[in-house]
Amino acid sequence: MADKQIERKDFAGRTVKILGETYDPGSPECIGCGEDIGWRSHFKTREEKIKYIKSAERYWYSKDWFGSEKRK
Amino acid sequence: MAENKPISVDKTVLELYEKAKKDGVNTVFDRAMDMKPCPIGAEGSCCKNCAMGPCRVPLPKKEGGEQKVGLCGATAATIAARNFIRMIAGGASAHSDHGRGVAETFLLAAKGEIPNYRVRDTQKLYQLAMDMGIEIEGREDKDIAVELGEKALAEFGRQTGHISLLEKAPEKRKDIWKKEGVMPRGVDREIVEIMHRTHMGVDQDYKSLLKQGTRAAIGDGWGGSMLATDLQDILFGVPVPVISEANLGVLKKDEVNIIVHGHEPLLSEMIVLASHDPELLSLAKSKGANGINLSGMCCTANEVLMRHGIPISGNFLQQEFAIVTGAVDAMVVDVQCIMQSLVSVASCYHTKIITTNPKADITGATRIEFHEHDALNSAKKIVRSAIENFKNRKGEVVIPNHKSKMIAGFSHETINYLLGGSFRASYKPLNDNIINGRIRGIAGVVGCNNARTTHDSHHLILIKELIKNDVIVLTTGCSAITAAKEGLLTPEAAYEYAGPGLREVCETVGIPPVLHMGSCVDNSRILMAATAVVKDGGLGNDISDLPAAGAAPEWMSEKAISIGHYFVVSGVYTVFSGSETFPVFGSKDVTKYLFEEMQETYGGMWDFTSDPMEMAKKMIAHIDKKRKALGLDKARERVLFDMEARRELV
Repeated sequence: MADKQIERKDFAGRTVKILGETYDPGSPECIGCGEDIGWRSHFKTREEKIKYIKSAERYWYSKDWFGSEKRK
Repeated sequence: MAENKPISVDKTVLELYEKAKKDGVNTVFDRAMDMKPCPIGAEGSCCKNCAMGPCRVPLPKKEGGEQKVGLCGATAATIAARNFIRMIAGGASAHSDHGRGVAETFLLAAKGEIPNYRVRDTQKLYQLAMDMGIEIEGREDKDIAVELGEKALAEFGRQTGHISLLEKAPEKRKDIWKKEGVMPRGVDREIVEIMHRTHMGVDQDYKSLLKQGTRAAIGDGWGGSMLATDLQDILFGVPVPVISEANLGVLKKDEVNIIVHGHEPLLSEMIVLASHDPELLSLAKSKGANGINLSGMCCTANEVLMRHGIPISGNFLQQEFAIVTGAVDAMVVDVQCIMQSLVSVASCYHTKIITTNPKADITGATRIEFHEHDALNSAKKIVRSAIENFKNRKGEVVIPNHKSKMIAGFSHETINYLLGGSFRASYKPLNDNIINGRIRGIAGVVGCNNARTTHDSHHLILIKELIKNDVIVLTTGCSAITAAKEGLLTPEAAYEYAGPGLREVCETVGIPPVLHMGSCVDNSRILMAATAVVKDGGLGNDISDLPAAGAAPEWMSEKAISIGHYFVVSGVYTVFSGSETFPVFGSKDVTKYLFEEMQETYGGMWDFTSDPMEMAKKMIAHIDKKRKALGLDKARERVLFDMEARRELV
């Protein structure tokens, strides 16, 4: 998710730009799904998706991660 | 329903039950009071598998009395086991035929032969392709999807070896299944074999019969159901957190109300699209409505909630009462858990009951058959029919003023992501909090409503007691809808109901103490979450080692028996409630096997109680037993290491 900047007044009354919310909106604004909304949309290319699968879903898809079962 | 019990704890049902009486409508609760369950059938002691019977072989009234056998000599154990595994066959068929329908649609979509469906979640496509041993390197998504569709479809009828997704289970679990000889072939074959074995004069050893039931149940949970979930995720998207609302208060007096009811998302996804169609929206306006209000019921509700945030109008026992509001212009049904009584209830109002699935028609209903090749047009025709019916509303419209906010969309992938984000997604934080005792354990609370008990009461008593005792709850199906209506699917619920440890974790992560994981086929997501917890480490080597338990507090359908059995043989202690008895209690041998001896083989076993508080106590006692076995029963002193102490460790 790209950083979002919002404008606020500081104590001196000057307009300053600060970092806005960094979380994803909780509700879809469209009726889309899957890659269109939420955290799934963070991964755009096939490389990014496979990289995520192999690290995050390492329980099933990593070839070099040794979980509790493989340590035995 | 016992005469002295309230029918429901849901205010919408109580309010509309009075309206139904006033309107002269006969409901499921009235019929439950008029007709008592057959006590012999309820305990699994009636065999009607041949025309020499039905043979009734109830337990002797006095200890030591004569135990009857059937005309063929079949014992109470054989008869109870036959009946039980035929229930598994029924339940596994429902889930798996659903899965097959999705696989067929998926393959057509992959080939580009049906215009309204496409691969929406390529990340999940790659995951499932790798699970099925499909090469993805250097290939177009379309080629991968076509091969996946063909392989997935072939899984249902696989004649030899075992189904592919079993490989995702923990290693120790697979060893147990191999040793016991229960690694299933395709679920179709295992179900046909159940029907053969239970035919008159075939398999007549209760343990042998139950073993075949085990094969079919695993073929459901780790096969048909899991494929249904995974392929739906690819077609429609892996669920992510969404905000929505639940209960009959989501209906709107001034809009065209359409309820999608049943189980499969193939049609309801198209109705979601059709309900946003500008032409249909303006048609609704031209008929005097302010819009089109789509909501869901039962597991179709869960499907469109999880992926679109479409509100839920109710669970299984609210289907008749939705019509009693007088505000529902069309109830669109597909398969499973749809009461035939809907047509007679609707005859008192203006509601159109529209059957859509080629496999399911109801006498007296309006038929608009749905075909994937022309999916969106089928859906538009259905929505148009509802709009045209808006003007036919008659009598008083009463929409109860009750609904609750919720957050749903907790697929096992999303839980993993929420616990660490893009770079550190992991089940480790959950494991750590179980190990340090903030979370006492994990409970899966799933299943139906049953008119033989107070609607929703067992779900709520159980879930609240579990989270009060720091047990995080994963929920699906009508149980999830109950939790949603009570406001338990919000992070704020942790403050009101959860114990201090679970509350702290919910507060830190920003999740509810009860996580909605989807529809009843999505119980496979719970299996995956449990497997990820095992594989992450620190809590044993198998699902049976985890401080975890399962429950169906108001079970009703054969699907619940199949789900219960695949959880048990996956290593989960599973408690049922809601019915007045359990359908093997007519045989002491079968009861002893399912309720005691299975634990020695599979690490999980069945249990039953009619008291939801007792149910919670049993589950917590089991969780504590597992914590003790893992050495997690005692608080350990925290030792802060300074640099000198660290050096001494080397």
